[in-house]
Amino acid sequence: MNRIWLALTSVVFLLLLAISPWAIAMRAFGGKGILITLWGVVDLYGRAKAMPDVSWLGYFTIFWVALALLVVVAAFLPEAKSRARLLYVLGLAGIAVFALEAFLFYHSVWSVNDAALAAGARRPPLKRYSLSLGAYVSFLYSLFLIGIGRMQLPGGRALLVRWRGVIVPAVSMLLAMVAGAVVVWILKETHLPQGSGALAYYAAKLDQVTYTFQLLFGPLLTASGWFQSLLIATPLIFTGLAVAFGFQAGLFNIGAPGQLTIGAIFAMLAGVHLANAHWFAGLPPGLARAIFLPIGVIAAAAGGALWGAIPGWLKARFGAHEVINTIMMNYIAASIFLFMIASNEYTFFGKWTLHMPFKFPGYEGRSYEVAESARIPLLINTLGFHQDSSGAWTGAFSWAIPLALAFLVAGYIFFRKMELGKRLLAALAAALLGYFIGGFLPGIPMHVSPKLASVRLNGAFIIAIFAVAFYNYYMWRTRDGYELRAVGLAPKAAEYGGISIAKKTILAMAISGALAGLAATHYVLGGGIDEYRLKQSLPTNVGFDGIAVALLGQNTPIGVFLSALLFGVLSTGGLQLDLQLGISRELVMMLQALIVLFIAAGGFLPRYFTDPILAAQAEEGVQGVL
Amino acid sequence: MTFATLLSAAFLVPLLQTTLRSTTVLLFTALGGMFSERSGVVNIALEGMIIFGALTAAVSAQLLEAPYVAQNPNAHVWWIPWVAVLLAMVVGAVVGWIHAVVSIKYKADQIISGTAINLLAAGLPSLVLRYLYNNTTSSKEITNRLPEWLGFSPLVYLAFALVPITWYVMFKTPWGLRLRSVGEHPEAADTMGINVFRTRYAAVIISGMLAGMAGAYLSIGILNQFVRNMSAGQGFIALAALIFGKWHPLGVLGATLLFGFAKALAIQLGGGDIMPPTIIEAFPFIITMLVLAGFVGTSRPPKAIGKPYEK
Repeated sequence: MNRIWLALTSVVFLLLLAISPWAIAMRAFGGKGILITLWGVVDLYGRAKAMPDVSWLGYFTIFWVALALLVVVAAFLPEAKSRARLLYVLGLAGIAVFALEAFLFYHSVWSVNDAALAAGARRPPLKRYSLSLGAYVSFLYSLFLIGIGRMQLPGGRALLVRWRGVIVPAVSMLLAMVAGAVVVWILKETHLPQGSGALAYYAAKLDQVTYTFQLLFGPLLTASGWFQSLLIATPLIFTGLAVAFGFQAGLFNIGAPGQLTIGAIFAMLAGVHLANAHWFAGLPPGLARAIFLPIGVIAAAAGGALWGAIPGWLKARFGAHEVINTIMMNYIAASIFLFMIASNEYTFFGKWTLHMPFKFPGYEGRSYEVAESARIPLLINTLGFHQDSSGAWTGAFSWAIPLALAFLVAGYIFFRKMELGKRLLAALAAALLGYFIGGFLPGIPMHVSPKLASVRLNGAFIIAIFAVAFYNYYMWRTRDGYELRAVGLAPKAAEYGGISIAKKTILAMAISGALAGLAATHYVLGGGIDEYRLKQSLPTNVGFDGIAVALLGQNTPIGVFLSALLFGVLSTGGLQLDLQLGISRELVMMLQALIVLFIAAGGFLPRYFTDPILAAQAEEGVQGVL
Repeated sequence: MTFATLLSAAFLVPLLQTTLRSTTVLLFTALGGMFSERSGVVNIALEGMIIFGALTAAVSAQLLEAPYVAQNPNAHVWWIPWVAVLLAMVVGAVVGWIHAVVSIKYKADQIISGTAINLLAAGLPSLVLRYLYNNTTSSKEITNRLPEWLGFSPLVYLAFALVPITWYVMFKTPWGLRLRSVGEHPEAADTMGINVFRTRYAAVIISGMLAGMAGAYLSIGILNQFVRNMSAGQGFIALAALIFGKWHPLGVLGATLLFGFAKALAIQLGGGDIMPPTIIEAFPFIITMLVLAGFVGTSRPPKAIGKPYEK
């Protein structure tokens, strides 16, 4: 069976290599490109001035066909060890050849551009050139060969099972991408030049699909793309942690949108109405910031905690299922939110009128501005840059924050012999030291592009990193966290062990809610919705996105962080998708939903990947499981 | 507005009509959900199924009528809305089937599987709308809506007629007995020769069909187009009504009437000065929570609900 699959994969690889565009010589805005395939050039752009020299591509084609044939032969070698060895060699050779191909392609593109510029052209003739699907599949195929080589040796499959925390999400992600590709293939029409054949049609279609994903992952290539991705990832980290926290305790917190809303309302109350209260008017700005910024953050967490604790209490006291209750609480929170923000005057029964001070005058539903003292500074400010009177961003890159973070991590690692509480304190002290040292070091003068400066990434991101650290510390390093996980894994055993399930349920829901509420710091105190206000456009949906983040991250701290970042990248790329290809950026939402669906189904992998007991047996090498 | 106006016919008649209309959506969905949950499969995906049904009905009606409307802008072709309703049911069934495959065959957490479908329903419609109508929020308005008989869409009558029918199927036919036994004690049902998997598949697909019909009523019965997020949580309210109604058709009828009335009241009082509509809109949710907490009668779910069956 294994051999047949390997041969099939090789055939599919060769087919894809043959049909799909191997590289894009240039691409116009809107996605039309000049496709270089192994059998010729498909010019969808139509006004090609210059072409890179890719005459060498034919030789490499022979290499890949030979490689695939050797793989099929390798599968029939009698000895496992020699099979593995040959596959390793073939895979490494594939990667090396891929690197060579990439180098040659970029080299010939650059030489065309340089020649044109030297000849007096104003702009380089080839823009937005890149490798494409054909090149990608040859790289992936080589990686796959190395993996298959490992699988030939004993314990190969057990190794896969041990890495199931990565494999299940990765396979689900891949399946979701394939499904997304199918949707793009169906929904997006292609315009071919007259007289092109069926091969050109498939190449153009495959190019469209590839370009879709190139755009989606495009933000990874620019600094402003990274900043924007981190900006979108910040609230997702909070809500992802909230959902993951619930999952660890065996609770499905689907109420992150509501908890975020209430957190935002609390943050608004603290940041606008408490910090602006007239009896605090005389405080010096520094002191006011030191008081009200923490209060605002705590208020956001408290609001979320309250909204999470209610369904927790209802479950603990009355056994009411938290899923329905948190959904109901989402709608109630939305009602409260609208009630506060949509109008300042309500009449009851035609007689009594209620006056409220929350809504800012005007058509749009929004609150008053958060006081200066309660605002979370933009990250770009804390890094030492500021806007001068002409609007340009100047300054020098300050080492204070980066050194503080580096010292924090270094301190935490260095003092590992200490008892945990002292270790944390020592790490914090190291961070403080790093902050001051960094402050005294001379900064690096740097130019900040307006594009980068326009991204409103703010200090809430730092809070998010601390939240990840907190989650890791609390869940895996404290007694409370251990008990929570025990309740999640085996509630009856935990209760028998003397843990009060009722208390743990309320606690878990409260902390989960607090994490979701903290997302409001980004939106309200950090100005994540363009203004330092609570606005009707508060995107509460990130609460639901948190489910996808938690599942993709398999409820681990680093996993949640990375998958939030991934969704941040995809959403950022989604904007380009809309601009360039006219594909709605809801494609990203669809991908998220499919990822959740496929992870729920265990990536359609065999049961020993998803069932904890079977997986443990597989790892131990129990006979008959694999 | 005073209390006297609240009792006038000018207020009460539209209130009653709106109540029946908003109950219809909940009733279809909740009765559908009853099949699924009675068979032991939690169906939190009802919300998404409504959206898929609504989208299918509006889009298919628009595409079907396009050649006729091109000739005559007011062309009325009687079969178009009915075919659209049928297609909405088919799509609902397909979505139900997906939920069934993931949660029955692959033994996924049924709530996560349902949530995934709801997320899908939040994203996919925009892609389709963008492709067909070049916007992401609504479909093109159609002229061939569902007809009205005596002031109500036929689907309203059908929804209320479904209550006794469901009751009969669920409690008076062998198939209903099997369905309930699968939800209560699948092992025992299996021993008796009942195919647990097939029964659950059928139940979840039926719930998808009914939710799809509810969606069709929303988009081509009440309105004449699909609008993004048009179900606005009614799938969840239907689920709540199902619990409130103790998984029984008559109970479901009562619960959906109550929730439908609350919604109608919010609509009718909107803009008036009796009570802010945002507060009235929150009533069904608060009532549901009170019900779940056992303040308004206890409600016992099917015993095997939410558990994948291991043969």
